[in-house]
Amino acid sequence: MSGDYKFDTLSLHAGHVPDERHGSRAVPIHQTTSYVFQNTEHAAALYNQELGGHLYTRISNPTVAVLEQRIAALEGGVAATATASGMAALATAVLVLCSQDDHIVSSSRMYGANINLLENTLPRFGITTSFVDPSDLAGIEKAIKPNTKMIFGEVIGNPGLDIMDVEAVAKIADKAGIPLMLDCTFNTPWLLKPFTLGANIIIHSLTKWIGGHGVAIGGAVVDGGNFDWGQNDKFPTIAGPHYAMDGINFYEEFGPAAFTAKFRAEGMYNFGPSLSPTNAFHILQGMETLPLRMQRHMDNTAKMLAFLSGHDQVAWVRHPSLADHPGHELAKRMMPRGAGSIIVFGLKGGRDAGRTFIESVELASHLANVGDAKTLVIHPASTTHSHISAEAMIEGGLSDDMIRLSVGLEDFDDIKADFEMAFRAAAKQQKARG
Amino acid sequence: MKHQLFDTSIHIATGGRPFANDGQALVLLHGSGQNHLTWVLQSRYFAYRGFPVLAPDFPGHGLSGGTPLDSIEAMAAWLIALLDSLEVKTACLVGHSQGCLVAIDAAARYPSRITRLGLIAGALAIPVNDQLLTMSDKALAKAISVMTSWGHGPMAHMHDNTQPGHSFLGYGNRLMASNNEMALRNDLMACNQYSAGQDAATKITQPVICILAGADRMTPLKHGIAMANSLVNSQKIILAGAGHMLPAERPAEVNHALRGFLAT
Ligand SMILES: Cc1ncc(COP(=O)(O)O)c(C=O)c1O
Repeated sequence: MSGDYKFDTLSLHAGHVPDERHGSRAVPIHQTTSYVFQNTEHAAALYNQELGGHLYTRISNPTVAVLEQRIAALEGGVAATATASGMAALATAVLVLCSQDDHIVSSSRMYGANINLLENTLPRFGITTSFVDPSDLAGIEKAIKPNTKMIFGEVIGNPGLDIMDVEAVAKIADKAGIPLMLDCTFNTPWLLKPFTLGANIIIHSLTKWIGGHGVAIGGAVVDGGNFDWGQNDKFPTIAGPHYAMDGINFYEEFGPAAFTAKFRAEGMYNFGPSLSPTNAFHILQGMETLPLRMQRHMDNTAKMLAFLSGHDQVAWVRHPSLADHPGHELAKRMMPRGAGSIIVFGLKGGRDAGRTFIESVELASHLANVGDAKTLVIHPASTTHSHISAEAMIEGGLSDDMIRLSVGLEDFDDIKADFEMAFRAAAKQQKARG
Repeated sequence: MKHQLFDTSIHIATGGRPFANDGQALVLLHGSGQNHLTWVLQSRYFAYRGFPVLAPDFPGHGLSGGTPLDSIEAMAAWLIALLDSLEVKTACLVGHSQGCLVAIDAAARYPSRITRLGLIAGALAIPVNDQLLTMSDKALAKAISVMTSWGHGPMAHMHDNTQPGHSFLGYGNRLMASNNEMALRNDLMACNQYSAGQDAATKITQPVICILAGADRMTPLKHGIAMANSLVNSQKIILAGAGHMLPAERPAEVNHALRGFLAT
């Protein structure tokens, strides 16, 4: 071969070469907890990370490893570790990086559970977070303290769709000597590969577009290998002796993959947020068609935006591809192929009209997920964000009439007909109320 | 460990165990634009099997300070100075690529110090094409990505890795990017200019193992075979289908072959 394989090829192949014994073309499901050691020396070598290989599925598994290598390849990272969910990815990554009395600077415009973890759960363990509007670069810089260990945010915020300027925030993080960690669930590597803009760690909920079919929960933490953990004394458990493996210094021994080595040796080993091999298999099936699906998601999103923007019952529509979105120019520059397939909008008639709409659609599904091949709708104020206080909702740029739409891959004419029918139902109800 | 040599702080990987000097060492020599991390899966492996491992970062590479050396002869002399200052009397040198040239040069000039050689994906001369030389000067990131690509075999390009979750290409790129920005350029120039390999080979009587890669696009297999044939006391092993980055791509086979060789 002459060069490196391209994105679409990697989506299909990365991480797996048919084995010599059976020649299985598809990735086999290694549904096993454990692996027979060749001898005691082999066992010891695996525990000591002298050799690559698998010893226990809580720590690694051959099917899961294919998924990990595939996502690492698609992102252009040095390594990836898969987890049982997107939340497991975030929680474990934070716990691997941060200790008691550490601090995080985070975007205030994020998925409800991300906010909850940082705002309410982690402070119980002595890890605190300052939340900043992701477009407020000066505010992000100002929020950094001597004990800050990372900047965190979503590239496309859920559900407000705020866009983070990855390159600018990466520069702030770099100057402060701390990593930039991003939740890239909404953009996927097909829209943006943030390591190329200086991000250092990427978190995915694989449950969404990457899996793409709504059949399996999963997550991943991808290591850009582009953060120098030894540049200051902020990360003593990576660039200093660690209790695991004889006081290992992950930074000296594993260099660009130091974070991943620690993630495996401590995060997977002690917390055990492992992805099941069968779920990894299902997610891999989805990954194979990620480029095809993303293109179609973008095409249908463009049609949906035109439809909603022109509809007289729609009070407002928000999407980064629309010229009136504050992140429009930034999104166009960072993500020329599109800014994701989530659209948020409100109906004239507010919360009640919204509820009638959601209860009237037949083709679109009313549920909590996003990024499925099928079109999904939800009312965040009463569901995903119901645990977030009213002030935090407003701080997060959310209004209570907002409908979040995850545009699917159906024939657009059919989604449009479904929406028109539900709009009529909402209008009828509004009229009845007078 | 950190070691001071000629007023420069030198990083030497010892495989996660303190270096226990019994007068002899197993010294792992990295290739062009690489550093001690080439040997991630060798240094721990051998250190935990009782070998006193030293995998130094040459000046300007990895975690060592200083500026990169500019000839193979200078690297060999530096290596001997390092052994002197560590009070290591004799060493088995294991080189990868450019590290093979350094090992050969040192073994020929300091025969009493060097007891054995392991030559991995090497040759007696490593000419570098002009395009790559220019790129390493004018477009370092491109040179790194081209070398990482050429340096890996078909399995690595498929991201099939014995280390769960790891990408050869991603890791390879980052490893090289972590060096001093003069490192690759100086290394490639040094390789390109080194012409004493054939002559040095005739002086080497120590036992040698050559571990060669069947799909090597950096130091093609036929040059590796010629190297093995020029060394009187040598054996060779060819790993079919593997790329130039053998220590990472085929760690189990490399370690097994080296260990067998060291036991004889
Ligand atoms: C942006 C974002 N990050 C993380 C998550 C959590 O992922 P999971 O449900 O796989 O734990 C979600 C889920 O909705 C999400 O939308």
